[in-house]
Order: sequence, then C-alpha cells, then structure tokens
Amino acid sequence: MFRRGVILIMLLLIFLSAVAQAGEEEYLQNLLKEAEEKALHRDRYWHVLLHYKKTFFGIESLIDDPNFFISPSGKKDPESELLETIKTFFKGYNDEGSDTRCRFPARYKWLKERLAIDETMLPGSRCSELEKFLEALNPQSATLVFPSAYMNSPASMFGHTLIRIDGKYQSKLISYAINYAANTGDEGGVSYLIKGLFGFFKGYFSILPYYEKIEEYNDLDMRDMWEYELNLSEDEVMRMVLHIWELKDIYSFYYFFDENCSYNLLFLIEAARPEVNLTDEFGQWVVPSDTLKAVIGKGLVKAVTYRPSRSTRIRHWATFLSPKDKKLAADIASGVVSPSSVIDESLERQGKIIVLDIAAELTQHRFMRRDIDKETYQKRFLSILNIRKDLGKQDSEILNIPQPPRPEEGHSSSMVSIGAGTKDNKAYQLTGFRPAYHDLADRDDGFQKGSVIIFGGIELRYYPDDKRAFLNRLDIIDIVSLSVRDEFFKPISWKVYTGFRRETLYDEKEHLIYSLNPGFGFAGKVLGGIYYVFIEADLQIGHGFGHDYTFGAGSSAGIIKDFTNWWKFLLSSRFMYHPMGDSNRLYALEMKNNFSITKDHALRLNFLRTKSYSQYSTDINLLWNIYF
Amino acid sequence: MKRVIILIMISMFIASTAFAAGQARRNTGCGLGTMLFKDSADDKWLLQALQATTNGTFGNQTFGITTGTSECERATKIASNERLNQFVADNMDNLAKDIAMGQGEALDTLAELMGVSAEERPGFYSKLQANFSNIFTSPDVQAAQVLDNIVTIYSRG
Repeated sequence: MFRRGVILIMLLLIFLSAVAQAGEEEYLQNLLKEAEEKALHRDRYWHVLLHYKKTFFGIESLIDDPNFFISPSGKKDPESELLETIKTFFKGYNDEGSDTRCRFPARYKWLKERLAIDETMLPGSRCSELEKFLEALNPQSATLVFPSAYMNSPASMFGHTLIRIDGKYQSKLISYAINYAANTGDEGGVSYLIKGLFGFFKGYFSILPYYEKIEEYNDLDMRDMWEYELNLSEDEVMRMVLHIWELKDIYSFYYFFDENCSYNLLFLIEAARPEVNLTDEFGQWVVPSDTLKAVIGKGLVKAVTYRPSRSTRIRHWATFLSPKDKKLAADIASGVVSPSSVIDESLERQGKIIVLDIAAELTQHRFMRRDIDKETYQKRFLSILNIRKDLGKQDSEILNIPQPPRPEEGHSSSMVSIGAGTKDNKAYQLTGFRPAYHDLADRDDGFQKGSVIIFGGIELRYYPDDKRAFLNRLDIIDIVSLSVRDEFFKPISWKVYTGFRRETLYDEKEHLIYSLNPGFGFAGKVLGGIYYVFIEADLQIGHGFGHDYTFGAGSSAGIIKDFTNWWKFLLSSRFMYHPMGDSNRLYALEMKNNFSITKDHALRLNFLRTKSYSQYSTDINLLWNIYF
Repeated sequence: MKRVIILIMISMFIASTAFAAGQARRNTGCGLGTMLFKDSADDKWLLQALQATTNGTFGNQTFGITTGTSECERATKIASNERLNQFVADNMDNLAKDIAMGQGEALDTLAELMGVSAEERPGFYSKLQANFSNIFTSPDVQAAQVLDNIVTIYSRG
C-alpha cells in the first residue's frame, strides 16, 4: 500500500513537471513568435548592444570575440542571435558565468521590457558578481574624459577619450574610469606599428579607479584633462553600465585610425541613449577630439571641468616667482639645497609656499621618471613637506590654474586650401587637402602648442602659362614635437617627415622625389614665443637624381610667435649638407604668417627662399585655409 | 667632416627605427612611492615616433573593482572600510602632499570616506596639517600606519 502510494506520487510529480515543461516550451515559442512579429532583430537598440554595422556584404558586428555571441552565426546574423538569446533564458545554469541573464544583462533587460517576459516562467537565476559590480559602481552619472594630446606617443597624439562612471561620492577620484585600449603586451618595434595600424592587437574594455587614470595622464604623461559631464539620467547611466558589463573580457581587433579607443566608447553612450546616433557619423578616420565635438553637438554635455597636468601646475605657479626662486625650487627638488633654506629667504609666505609646492611636485615627477631611487625620493619628499606644513594654506587665486581654450574650441581637424603664388616669377594656382590635423602655423587654441601632426597632406599646383598641373607635395607623415625646456623640465624635441615633394635638382628641372627626414633637438621660450634648434638627417630618393638618391645631414632653427590672437608668425632657416649620392648644399629661409579670420578660416602668407644645387629659388604664395 | 656627417646620419636612422618600448609600470609596496613610473631612458630616446601606435594597456588592466584584494595591511583603528584602506594605500603621496598643504582633492576624498562632515573639515584639515610629522612618522611609513595615525588625531577631538 505504502509502496503504491510512493509510485503514485512520483508519477504525479513527473506528470506535473512535464506539464510545466510543456508550459515553458509553449511560452518560449510564444516569445519567439512575438519577437519575430515585432522584428526586434531589426530594432536599433539590438544593433547598438551587439555593435552591428552595415557593411558592403550585409550586417556585421564590430565585436570579434566569439564569446560575445550566443548563436554561432551571431556576428553576422542579428535575427539568429536574438532568437538564440531568448532561448537561453529558459535554460537553467549552475554557474552565473554562463547564465546569459547574468552575462548579458543589458540584452536581458531590454528583451524583458519589449516582450514583457514573465520572470516566474524562467528558471531561477542569481547574478552575485554583477550585483557586486553594480554595488561598487553605484552608477549615478557619467562623464566623458578627454586627456589632451601626448606628443611622445603617436597613439596619443590626437588625444584620447574615456568614460567615468560617478557614484554617490562627491569626490571624483574614487569614481571608476572605463577605458578601451589595445592589449599590446611587450610588443615593440616596427611590428608594433604595423600591428596597430592593421588591427592585429585585441582591444579590451577595462575599469580602474579614476585616480589611477589621473596618475597616468596628469602626472606621468603630463597631459591636461577635460571632463565633460553627460546629461544622462540615472536609468540611462544604468543601461550604459549594464552594457559595459557585457563587454567584460570581450575583444575587438583594434584599429588605430577608426575602430579605436574613442570610437568604441561611442557605443557606450548609444547604449545609454539609443536615440542618439554617434557611431554612424564617422568614416575611416576617427579623431578623439571629433568624437568629443560630436557628443557636444548632440547636446549630451551639461558641464565641463578642467584638470591641469602636473607640468601645467608647476609652470603656472612658477610665473609668480623670480628666476632666482625658480632655481631654488629646482635645486630643492634635485637635493642640492635643503628645503629649510626657504625659511631664510626674503620672500612673502605665499612665495615660500610656491617654492616648496613646486619642489614637492617636481620631486614626485623625478621619481616617476626614475631619475631618483625610491629611498632618496621618500626622504626628500617628506623633508620638503615637513617644512611646507608650517606655512599654512596657499591662497586660492594662486592655486587655481587659468583654463586654456577647450579642445572643442580648436579648428576642425581636416582642411582644404586654395590660393595662388609665384615661384621664380612663374604664377601658379594652388589647391591643397589635409585630412588631419594641425601644423606649426595653425592657430593653437585647443591643440598642443608647437606640434605638427599631418597625415596624408596633398598639394596640387597649376601653372596657367604652361597649362600644366603638378603634384607638388604628398606629405605621408609629418610630425614635429617641440617641447619647451625650462628650469624644471628638459624634454627632447623631435620631428619626422616622410613624403613626396617636387624639387628642382642638379639638372635645373623639377622632379618628384621621396624624402625621409628625421631630426631631434630642443626648444625654449624666447621673446614671448618658442624657438627651436634641430639636427636632421635626410634621405631622398628619385629617378631625377644622377645617383637615384642623396643622403645628408644638417640643422634647422626657427622661431614661432603669436603677435596677436589672430596673427601667428614663423621664421625658420635650414642648412643641409648632402655628401652621398648627388652631392648638394641646401640653404633655406622660410617665413609664414597665419591670419585667423574665424575658428575655421585663415589666410596664410608663405615665403620660401632656397639655394640648392647652386641655384636660387623664391616661392611666395597666399592661401585661404578652410577647416572642416 | 664627411665621416662625421655620415656617422651622424647613420646613427639617426638607427635611432629612428630602434627604441625601447616605454611601458609604464607600477611600483609595488604600501608606502610612499607606490606609483606609476617610466624609465627616464624612455624619454631620452631619440624619435619615439614609432614607439606606440595604439593606446596600449600596461600590466593587465581589466575590471579592477577592488574589494579586499589589496596586498597592504588594513588599518586597525577604524571599522573595516575597504575603499578607504585602498584609497590611502594607492594615494599615499598625494595625501601626504595635501595634508602638508592643508587642502586638496585627496584630502577631501579622505574626509568623505571617513565620514567627516563638511562643517568639520576645515578644523580636521588644520589639525592634520599641524600633526603632519605625527602622521608621516618616517620615510618608509606604511599606509595602514598612516591611516591609524589620522584616525587617532581625528578621534582626539
């Protein structure tokens, strides 16, 4: 009797669970049908979350990691990915790492809303790791952060962007920074360059406390940072954060020019507010400051904060000091002079504070650069602060750093030129195009002063008398980094040029030649402007040469000065001695005047006088530069 | 003259193609000087043009939501506050600077994490400044000790 009862109960249980399974199965089929009817796989938000983009052949996700897709064909098939995703909600998982509701919470949240999924019909699910993550972030608002250009790494020349998720704390230092970067390992050399350009590195999202990013950009790289607080609601920020979680440990191949740090961040903003379309605004060339401009243009920014770098702080404070006291600050940082000697100086209290504050920051800087060892650093740093502590608080008008023009206030990153000129008394018309980005004569607002970053600049000339047009220049890469030396910092300036130019050679005819021209030197301040001196090498190759090439070295020097905020002046001279191949002595004197009319319009007057292969040449032109 | 020029040219071309990959690293420890660094030689190399084309990560930056992973000792005189311990250990140098200066963002963060109210802060900051040498007692003082010293001074009222 008892046994029969047990059997009955067991049968009943099997029957009930079968009914339940049938019910779940039916419910799943209904959901799939509804998803099809609503064509959710074509919904904009689905495409944002899966990073789908139209390509020549159809639709494809920019994410390359197979772990990001549930359907084996998910990378190219939004519909299959959607249906397979829904199906997995009905599977019971033992570990939350595989549970798609825990792994892809933004997808789940959205599908649950769109299909009104009844959670009681799904197997139990608990996402403790996700909960811990959300608790740590406690997302309230989001901020787009732009560390300005860093010339000593091409990756950072155009600036960088990251997103900061702000929680309930007032202090932003303990917010979290979301960064997208290539995982390059210990790779170096030319292979590094090639891999970066052609997408062999895997890019990952990472999260770090914001103070670590400040340390990296403000202190180590000495880049000013700009923080653009986004006007996202708490719900929108939560959507962004859920999507960030979905991208944990997921890679995409990193392409320097387009699928880079800045481009990938735009998906996060779209995940927060899908009505805003940012990722389709960019083509083959994504410059971080342009993504910033796009985000501002969509009305997403509500407040801007400036965070000056360590070098900006030191240099600003130093403006209050006499040369003697600047030297004192540098000497204290070098350990030549004891910090207590400040007390005996005939300086106001504020001045003494500045000397010690600069010395303290400079000591940190020296240690970061490994100029001094840790033990020396700890002692020196503490000995400075032990004097500093007795001097009270610095006045806020000295501490506060004046805000320079913002990155978005600079000229646009592409440019066309039209103009006319005369070379050796022959008139010509000129047309130029420069996809990116900035040269020495352009107005510096929003850019790194003393920097040239040109990729793919092209200049055509038409001589009406001869009715002939020529390619006059094709600047493949032209980079100059002038870093000013002063009492505190002794950086090296450098340049590298590679491209094609039309030049008059020994046969007194113009030929297109290829030139590779690196150089290094130093720069400093003079007469309210910047001066520089370079030592250079130049390899030129072309059929026009008697020996097919010429190879030489020499030096150049110049001065750059802003006479007014609309008139910038450059004067430079260059001497190159070429002993190998076609031998030559080149003398050049160049003058440039840039007159800014508006942010995106300027007139440029160029003068170039050269002596090369014993022939003199004069080239003068007037250009209208339009930035767009 | 010609030989010198050729030598300069050759060395420049070598310099422009060869270089040391200047990755930043983090100093380990729980005292002053635990921060990112780069070898100064990296910066003195000529022509870093080829140095890096991508925004490379250093170490393994991942989802670093730290809860109890710090290698440093915890302060004993304050109720367990992982965020505070972590912040002090990671920001010792800037905190030292701010305390000596009597103001700053690291100091504000410390006060907020310790739950010091806005009204109390000016007094708290002056007291810390006056007691700087009782907080940073030696060049190799550790983060946990620093935090304990701060708590002691704060609770002395």
